[in-house]
Amino acid sequence: MTTDAPRLTVVTAPANPVWKIVRPILSHGLLLLASFLMLYPLLWMLAASFRPEAEIFSNNSLIPSEISLHGYISGWTGLSRTFDVFFLNSFMVSILCVIGNLAACSLTAFAFARLEFWGRKFWFALMLGTLMLPYQVVLIPQYILFLNMPPWLGGTASGWVNSFLPLIVPKYLAVDAFFIFLMVQFFRGIPRELDEAAQMDGCSPWRIYWRIMLPLSVPVLVTAGIFTFIFTWDDFFAPLIYLNDQKIYTATLALRTFVDSTAESNWSGLFAMSVLTVLPIFVIFVFFQRLLIEGIATTGMKR
Amino acid sequence: MTARSLADATAAPAGGRAVTPSVWSRIWSANGAGYLFLLPWFIGFFGLTVGPIVTSLYLSFTNFDLLTDPKWIGAANYVRMFTADPKFAQSMRVTFMFVIFSVPLKLAFALAIALLLNRGMRGLPIYRAIFYLPSLLGASVAIAVLWRTLFAGDGVINDFLALFGIQGPSWISNPRYSLWTLILLAVWQFGSPMIIFLAGLRQIPQDMYEAASLEGASKWRVFWKITLPLLTPVVFFNAIIQTIEGFKSFTPAFIISGGTGNPINSTLFYTLYLYQEAFAFFRMGYASALAWVLLIVVALFTGFSFLTSRFWVHYDD
Repeated sequence: MTTDAPRLTVVTAPANPVWKIVRPILSHGLLLLASFLMLYPLLWMLAASFRPEAEIFSNNSLIPSEISLHGYISGWTGLSRTFDVFFLNSFMVSILCVIGNLAACSLTAFAFARLEFWGRKFWFALMLGTLMLPYQVVLIPQYILFLNMPPWLGGTASGWVNSFLPLIVPKYLAVDAFFIFLMVQFFRGIPRELDEAAQMDGCSPWRIYWRIMLPLSVPVLVTAGIFTFIFTWDDFFAPLIYLNDQKIYTATLALRTFVDSTAESNWSGLFAMSVLTVLPIFVIFVFFQRLLIEGIATTGMKR
Repeated sequence: MTARSLADATAAPAGGRAVTPSVWSRIWSANGAGYLFLLPWFIGFFGLTVGPIVTSLYLSFTNFDLLTDPKWIGAANYVRMFTADPKFAQSMRVTFMFVIFSVPLKLAFALAIALLLNRGMRGLPIYRAIFYLPSLLGASVAIAVLWRTLFAGDGVINDFLALFGIQGPSWISNPRYSLWTLILLAVWQFGSPMIIFLAGLRQIPQDMYEAASLEGASKWRVFWKITLPLLTPVVFFNAIIQTIEGFKSFTPAFIISGGTGNPINSTLFYTLYLYQEAFAFFRMGYASALAWVLLIVVALFTGFSFLTSRFWVHYDD
């Protein structure tokens, strides 16, 4: 027994005291270096936005020699409209999309998770099938559809094209299957006894949805709302295709126009506006980081 | 007679005439609420998904410029694509290169960092947040603009290389490297698969590791024999999601190349080519055919992955 004991300790714990101290230092050193490399581009952009124009490419330190607001001032007025117009547009589109997506997806998810009806499994499978569908397959017919929207549905000479409607209305029709799926998963976790009891008391499905399910689903609604906001705020493709007049440009589209028109002469303005376009996402990240990370960990959100 | 008893059962007013409405009301009360709740989704599903899929299949066999009616040309679009369109071949090549290199690299980084963080590191939430941030911001126009500047001839990357006496090329405008800057941009965004890996690692039962360490298995062996096999479902999931995202990637290539896919089409992503055909040249029929080929490629890839998954993905039951 006395001979066995030491061998066992050797096997279970590599009892090297130096290694025990060195290893965490090595790991943290490696992680800190990696963190710095990961953040460097973002910090560089932030620094560049505050640098005097002449210094942007001559000075790579992350601390500007002097803080200049020139970029923010010249960038804000760099296009034929000021950036407050674009930010307001982006906010309006994003908020309306969040409301639509939450309302439509939660209605759909409630039906799939809680209501009995003929063909439920069939429709659910079809809904899941649209998860993997590349957007490009529906892009052109959707464009033609929106282009030909009749006046009684709010269409102008170019239909809904060159308005916010093609960006917003699909959200009210629950086209993003991912969020439906996310909510179905959450609703299924809510104890059935709750709505069964309510049903006994004569509650209509609508009241169960509105009075029981939604109040209990605040976490998933917030998560879905945040991700919808970020995806819409960030979206470039739909605005690129549907918005033609500068006065209705979203911030991302305006930024791209900025690149094309003035970038070569106004780098600090370009970076200042770049920083501002990602700022709302960064603020959400700071305040809702835990929800974002949980959302990804439990559902495998792509971003 | 059966109809009669049905009607009685639903407590309808007596008399044969009430039979039909009460059958309908039964169907309604069993299904109505569900279909009412699904109404918005149905409109979207048929109007914005199924309808457009069918329409784009039809358009892919036509010549259509938005101004005149579509003209049926049979399979000519597809024939042209595979026999007489070097840009189609090039955009396929670029996209496959992008996916083949960016996805495995991204997943490798994600897994490596997740393993490092999972060893009870202090400050895990901070590191996790830092590594996640790029993948949250990375798809935006602002970051693509930034990337274009960092990798320009006079950009920061070359300033850094100059410290070691290396004269770097203009990475963005050199066709040998331009695609690699985009691959690097994608790999930089390894944060979200990393978070999914971390969640997966936490699911692995701790007693398996205890048993392995009692038997004196080396760390290397533990990784290959326990961690990796038990993590294969997560690897599989991440690989599918990231590959599909890779095929659909658009914004970075568009912004960095100014919408052209240049230099000499080295960053002509498939989605970018499709966009050009549809919205720069208004060849809607040809672009629809391109979209259908993309759908088939994605479907084939997904199907193939699921078929082969049973040979390498570990499932409990």
